[in-house]
Amino acid sequence: MHAEDVGLTTAEYDRIVKLMGREPNDVELGLFGALWSEHCSYKNSKGLLKRLPNRGPHVVQGPGANAGVVALDDQYELAFKVESHNHPSYVEPVQGAATGVGGILRDIIAMGARPMAVADMLRFGRDGHSVKLLEGVVSGVGQYGNAIGIPTVTGDVAFADGYAKNPLVNVLALGIRRREHAIGAASARPGQLLVLLGQRTGRDGIHGASLLASRDFEAGSEDLRPTVQVGDPFLGKLLMEVTLAAVHGGLLGALQDLGAAGLTSAVAELCYSSEVGAELELDRVPLREPGLSSYDIMLSETQERMLLAVEESRLSDLTQLADQHELLCSVIGRVVPGSELTIRHHAEVVAHLDAQWLVGEAPQRPVDDALWMSFGAPVQEPEVPAAAPKLSVALLLKVLGNSDVRDRKPIYRQYDSMIQTNTVRGPEGETAVLRVRGSRAGIALAVSGPARWAAVDAYAGGQGAVLAALTRLAAVGAEPLGMTDGINAGNPDKADSYGAMAALIRGIADAAEAAQVPVTGGNVSLHNETDGRAIWPTVMIGAVGRLVNPEHPLAETWTQSGQHLYLINPSPLDWGGSAAQIMQDGEPGAMLRPDLAGAVRAMTAVAHWARQDQAMALRAVAAGGLGATLVRMMASGNPAVGADIRLGETRPEEKTLRLFNESPVQWVAVVEPHHREALESHFGERGVPVLPLGTVTDEALLQIDERYRWARIDLLQAWRHPYEEEPS
Amino acid sequence: MSVRIGVVTFPGSNCDHDTLWALDELGAETAPIWYRTEDLDHWDGVVLPGGFSYGDYLRSGALAAKAPVLGALRAAVQTRSLPVLGICNGFQILTEAGLLPGALRPNRHGQFRCEWDTVRVVEQSPWFPGLTVGMRLRLPIAHAEGSYYVPSGQLGALFQSGEAWLQYVDDAGRLSPSINPNGSIANLAGVQRGSVAALMPHPERAMASYLGSDDGRRLLGAWVKGVSQEAIHAR
Amino acid sequence: MPEFHAVVTVILKPEILDPAGEAVKGVLQHMEFPIGDIRIGRHIQLTVDAPDAGEAARLVQRMADEVLANPVMELARVRVRVEQ
Repeated sequence: MHAEDVGLTTAEYDRIVKLMGREPNDVELGLFGALWSEHCSYKNSKGLLKRLPNRGPHVVQGPGANAGVVALDDQYELAFKVESHNHPSYVEPVQGAATGVGGILRDIIAMGARPMAVADMLRFGRDGHSVKLLEGVVSGVGQYGNAIGIPTVTGDVAFADGYAKNPLVNVLALGIRRREHAIGAASARPGQLLVLLGQRTGRDGIHGASLLASRDFEAGSEDLRPTVQVGDPFLGKLLMEVTLAAVHGGLLGALQDLGAAGLTSAVAELCYSSEVGAELELDRVPLREPGLSSYDIMLSETQERMLLAVEESRLSDLTQLADQHELLCSVIGRVVPGSELTIRHHAEVVAHLDAQWLVGEAPQRPVDDALWMSFGAPVQEPEVPAAAPKLSVALLLKVLGNSDVRDRKPIYRQYDSMIQTNTVRGPEGETAVLRVRGSRAGIALAVSGPARWAAVDAYAGGQGAVLAALTRLAAVGAEPLGMTDGINAGNPDKADSYGAMAALIRGIADAAEAAQVPVTGGNVSLHNETDGRAIWPTVMIGAVGRLVNPEHPLAETWTQSGQHLYLINPSPLDWGGSAAQIMQDGEPGAMLRPDLAGAVRAMTAVAHWARQDQAMALRAVAAGGLGATLVRMMASGNPAVGADIRLGETRPEEKTLRLFNESPVQWVAVVEPHHREALESHFGERGVPVLPLGTVTDEALLQIDERYRWARIDLLQAWRHPYEEEPS
Repeated sequence: MSVRIGVVTFPGSNCDHDTLWALDELGAETAPIWYRTEDLDHWDGVVLPGGFSYGDYLRSGALAAKAPVLGALRAAVQTRSLPVLGICNGFQILTEAGLLPGALRPNRHGQFRCEWDTVRVVEQSPWFPGLTVGMRLRLPIAHAEGSYYVPSGQLGALFQSGEAWLQYVDDAGRLSPSINPNGSIANLAGVQRGSVAALMPHPERAMASYLGSDDGRRLLGAWVKGVSQEAIHAR
Repeated sequence: MPEFHAVVTVILKPEILDPAGEAVKGVLQHMEFPIGDIRIGRHIQLTVDAPDAGEAARLVQRMADEVLANPVMELARVRVRVEQ
């Protein structure tokens, strides 16, 4: 076997020989190939990710573990992370998406937390095949999440041609644990037994990490596609229950899930984080079919498996627990002092190396400081914003039917969003709100990732994604605790793709720094590139916040006529990168760089306002801008009322920009007439501009500046368009 | 005297804890029942909760219907009219086990569906004191196989015998085919036979207005009351 | 054009995990059936208009490859009844 067979370069091979002081055998080479792959080692992105702020008063576990952890209150902690399953979902959408959900759930469980929410962030092309992929992916997300019993409470979907052959399937999971149940991979001690729990090992997805997820797709690359993995949510559920029962019973020393690169990665990560070595007996690994080689067993990506480190005295309790659930539980080795990993199979040592080399010595691309600094440079804003058409009745209807803007219900109604009975606000809202039984604190969860903003200026897009997620948390008055980032980009060996990813990360870093919200973990998926065509640099941000009184979060829409509407923190008149601008021009323009200081001021003021009694409702301006946001408010509110809007702008082109710009950090606020003054002074005192928008009327109409009128039913019909077809 | 209600956990059940919580809220004395149990003497009432028992593999409920606890359940229903409530997957299991008539087929549109629906009480039941005919309840559904089916010719008997229990209706209480979420025959959302009743919607998720509705509390509350009255009578 | 009856059997490739089969097997074992192996697939009956049986088989094979089965993980076996 050669270096390139396992996806390594000659230079990397030479480094391995130097570390080992000899040539690696095939098994050892396979271990290096898996763990030094882009997918496992983050070799092109780790340096950049280190520059994201990751500390904060609520952070319990920062990046590097299976998931980040923040404190919710003095009893409970939240583990959360986003993960991608892009390449497998293109090959087999149902199973690719399903195993993606299963994988991120096991990451959360591996922190000793019980998963309580899932969010899906999806990107597809606009061709016929993409519709099939969408159907398959949504079905797969639902199949796993619904069956294992974790609600999918929010999500995000968008479409662009560049995703046709590289769809993105990023899934965020959030779990909860009591402080005393904290566990992870870092607490294994010499003498403990290594136990493999769950599914029998088969030839599933061998080389998924090193080849499938770490190379571009090219025409004729079918041969590279290994056996796909099949998710089994039923077994996943049993595995979750046994693992969490073992954690709660204090049976475990350490815990690590098996994901990409299977047993290899799990053992190496456990050894690395616990600073121990391990001895493995592959003959004791239960197999699904005979004849698996040492190499296959070590690299199989069979799903629904966990690696546990257990004191010998606790083994019988664990076995009893597993037996009760009819789950396989096999001692496959032992934790030893030092850092050496010894693997035996058929009475022979098939691999012997230092586990530190696999993780700690993985190559890393250094960050070019000059490149990093270059992204922050101010850009010359155009004096005249991009040309926009005159506002018309037809224009709003057209924007509402845009695939990035329209109602996401055809997707989310296929997901169970209510199981566990904690969902106070689910996917119908901009921000999910969950109560926590046994705590006064609740959880707000918001996701955002409008890559169209990053298409031209990835730095601005990175900032925008962070701000948009935090804007949604502010709308329910939640205090941000932390964020997770799912980064998706093209081939890092190409300067353009790498530069775009670096700019995106710098944007995330600057916005997170300004808002003082740490990024506690995330995922990077590179090589989203087919036939030389890369996706837009795409980040999916998931933001987690704490709110008091979660049973009664601030409403997202009006209730009766006479109420007044305001646009909080109105953006300059520029719609670059918005869904409407792309519809108009055919390709994305540059997004206006956010004003970070102003954004943070506005978010703080809004979160504060949201907790006041005078606040009636607040809704973050989202895809499709103010125009679509008003329609969403109309759709979810009292069907007998409408809104009479007066825009300050006089020219019809300016009205278009006001209605359809998607600048983050804007909200529509609803107040009773006698609280107008309170609202104006609240924001006035905090230096946040507000724009009176008009009033709620007792007609089921949206009316703008008296000239433009839409019946509620026409707006809803345009917005609730199924995904099968683009309206003409 | 507190009423003792057990909730069966099959492998893959995932609404068992939600249901236990809901029954606790209603003051019942509750505990989970493991699916391999063959003794149900302790219980005044038993709930088969929602979820994906055995992953819903083969047919929803088909594999759980062969579990040891079902044998005990059947015997207790026959000998002492044990009150049993099936919710979602529990309904599927009860039809597969032959304790309720009919079958639950994949939704007509072929998709899993999670949404709020309204159901109307078709028939008064002694096990649900206070749930009167015509009463409407707003409850969530979450299932892929909830299209209730009985062979042609048996539908009339179902209504005549009082076994048709709940129907999906629109906001005004009308039986409109357009609001039928899954293609169920005659918009049926729940059926009953003797001491056994089941429904596809999830009352345990509708225990408070902040969760969307508290009509589930009314339904489960009525059942707990019914079970309790029967238990007093029996002891 | 004549109409041919065809049956397509879709089954997971041998090396692919069959969670449904495993779950059913477990229950059958509990019921003390002497069960060995089990694989669960799909049985699809259809009719197709074609000039002859050979063309019918080719058409159904294409349906199997392109829609009815995912060749990444499944095998499809096509049978066309010779009598129309």
